[in-house]
Amino acid sequence: MKAIFAKGLLNAAISILGASLIIFVISRLSGDPVSLMLPMEAPQSAIDALKQELGLDRPLWEQYFIFLWKALQGDFGQSYRWQMPALALVFERLPATIYLATAAFAFSLVLAIPLGVLSAVYRGSWIDQIGRIIAMLGQAVPSFWVGLILILVFAVGLQWLPAFGADGVQHVILPAIALGWYPVAAQTRIIRSGMLEVLDSDYIRMGRSVGTPERLLVWKYAFRNALLPLVTIMGVYFASMLSGAFVVETVFAWPGLGRTVVEAVFSRDYPVVQAGVLVTSILFVLSNFLVDLSYSIIDPRIRL
Amino acid sequence: MFAGRLVATVLGLLALNSAVAAQTKDTLVAALAAEGTVLDPARYSAGVDQYFIGQMFEQLVRFDPDLKPVNWLAESWKIEGTSDKPIIDVQIRKGVKFHNGDPLTSADFEFSYERLKDPKISRWTHLQANVEKFEIIDDHHFKLHFKAPDGDYIVGSLQLWAMPKKYYEKAGEDGFAKAPIGTGPWKFVSRSIKEDLKLEAFEDYWNKDARPKIKNLVLKIIPEDLTRVAAFKSGAVDWVDAVPLSAVEEIKKMPGVKTFTAMAPNNMYIDFPAYKSDSPFSKLKVRQAVAHAVDVDAIIKNVLFGQGERYTQVGRGSTGYDPTLKPYAYDMRKAKQLLTEAGYPNGFETPCYNLITPREPNVKEMGEAVFAYLGTVGIRCKVQGLEYSAWINLGRRGRSGPPEMDGVLMWMWGHGLPGDPATSWGGMLHSFVQGKGFGSYSYTNDEKADSMVEELKGTMDPEKRVGLIQKIARYKHENVLGGVPTYRPVVTLAWRDSIDFRAWPSPGSWRAFQEVSFKK
Repeated sequence: MKAIFAKGLLNAAISILGASLIIFVISRLSGDPVSLMLPMEAPQSAIDALKQELGLDRPLWEQYFIFLWKALQGDFGQSYRWQMPALALVFERLPATIYLATAAFAFSLVLAIPLGVLSAVYRGSWIDQIGRIIAMLGQAVPSFWVGLILILVFAVGLQWLPAFGADGVQHVILPAIALGWYPVAAQTRIIRSGMLEVLDSDYIRMGRSVGTPERLLVWKYAFRNALLPLVTIMGVYFASMLSGAFVVETVFAWPGLGRTVVEAVFSRDYPVVQAGVLVTSILFVLSNFLVDLSYSIIDPRIRL
Repeated sequence: MFAGRLVATVLGLLALNSAVAAQTKDTLVAALAAEGTVLDPARYSAGVDQYFIGQMFEQLVRFDPDLKPVNWLAESWKIEGTSDKPIIDVQIRKGVKFHNGDPLTSADFEFSYERLKDPKISRWTHLQANVEKFEIIDDHHFKLHFKAPDGDYIVGSLQLWAMPKKYYEKAGEDGFAKAPIGTGPWKFVSRSIKEDLKLEAFEDYWNKDARPKIKNLVLKIIPEDLTRVAAFKSGAVDWVDAVPLSAVEEIKKMPGVKTFTAMAPNNMYIDFPAYKSDSPFSKLKVRQAVAHAVDVDAIIKNVLFGQGERYTQVGRGSTGYDPTLKPYAYDMRKAKQLLTEAGYPNGFETPCYNLITPREPNVKEMGEAVFAYLGTVGIRCKVQGLEYSAWINLGRRGRSGPPEMDGVLMWMWGHGLPGDPATSWGGMLHSFVQGKGFGSYSYTNDEKADSMVEELKGTMDPEKRVGLIQKIARYKHENVLGGVPTYRPVVTLAWRDSIDFRAWPSPGSWRAFQEVSFKK
């Protein structure tokens, strides 16, 4: 177990280091922040002075090692735009994104599990067809469009739920649906195929022959085993929601990390981009690592 | 059955929650599309920051809702000294207090000046470059001594902001950033980045005639256009800015809603490398052909849903506006004839650089329409789209790196409201002079224009400036220098008619909540 843990940790460290290099190079290639930070009429001398102050006049490799060394100490520098520590800004916005991603993930499971199980139990029936349509719609329709439709119906039309913000529980409902609908199709398919396989197995047939109630067979015996493949991809989907919440955050004016980082990209606020993407990468790698670890615990035949 | 009841109960509670919120009417909730960064007048860098800073901080001079200059924290001011070493003499208003109760004195303006000229703090040091020294005469009287005349100082409402010296020294940099105080009508309460800024009316505000009569103000940040409009329609917000172009007519027709449409502080224009002797655009007739080739009115109507105002060199309401100066008429035949006379009977091919930015609505589409019009007279565009950062970077003259843009350029130049073209012309009309701050984004090289722009920069008398601006505008127009002006974007604000709101142009481009109240 220790060896599995150590190997996983090493893989995670290599992935994060790779991510740090990619983030650094891409952010530097995307343009110069200084022209954006100064008014258009600022003289060249002011531009040169600011570049020097920010250390942007140094060779790229030197900038990278400074960045890496400081990042290891938790110092990502001051945000050029917000003029506050970049990591503090990221940690200030991260909880909102985790909250939204958790709610969206819960929504996706609440929808996908019954759809997947019922589609398998009533294979080929109208329930199966409707389940597929609901699941496929989530994948086929872009999340920003889903978000806008939800706003028009539930905020403007019915006035049941707020259109924006993050002031209370009711604020998370619409963004969670918009963000959580997308993975429903894949989750439903995995549960459905897992259930179909298990429902055809000998021990279920045996259970039926001895008169075990169908509800017990489906939910207690078949569903537990069909759940294993879902656990494998749960980490990836949760992490994708963390890193991909930007569009939904923008539509619902949700004060999360995604919006903060994307806006930092447009203003070339390197420290915030680097801190935000690296923290998200760490969460991504960490959640996958934990899922891999839990999977190997659930099924001892699997090793990292 | 149970599930149905549960859903009904939850939705009922949510509806009740909204109803309770709607009844609390000592708070105005406004939705803004853009968010500022720092709440410090010495540290801010973009015009959008003024939407927020301008609620809490004030300057010596400002423009009233009729775009007339009024002394604000300055009781009076005058220019004295000699023409080459002028002095601005300022008497500041007595009885003005900061939000913590400290009185406003000359020392606070000296402190502001010191911070604004410090390159470690300010992005605006170049605006203080001509000030030689700050002299305090007494608590309410100070003088700014200039080493050279500086017209831009007048343009920028005497540049200085009232900043609390004593409080800053006590609270420190971090303390001031966390709880900034000014003399403005609104006091800082709290801020959540990407979410909102909460303010409270300042009871001891000096101006008893023009002040808010609402207890609390919440500025919500809602960047997505449709969400912002939806929030307004649903009643979640009382006031909304930057109504999307396509929704303006609908919002104007909504019952119980008032709107205000006014010019935004930006000038859009088409530029070209007139300074290059081997470029077709160095010929006046080619530049005139460009001016005749584009049907700007049709573009405003169809691409901007009518939400733009055509201008000729200087926009309506701006300093030096000349109503007798008319834009070039759209005339495709004349444009083709001018191209033939210039030696291009079959037209020519040129790179065309389009700007892609959310800074102004439909800018990209505007550029595409312009290039299509140019194509109809024979100026065939090889279009390249540039995101804002790349555009501003490549457009800047005299830097090392990739070559400058050498074709038709879609440009914009922002200034405050009501707007004075001096700064813009220094940057885009005056020829480029390395290290002198002139022509940083200029594709023009004309000696007469240069000398007139320099004269304007050195003219501090407001009346003389008007005459000079009109003279430059006519010369620029007749010679199609510094590009072809197209339109000035307009901005539409909307609010419930239960609110009395009077839009002040600055600071904050009409978003200053200086005079606002709920109707009784």
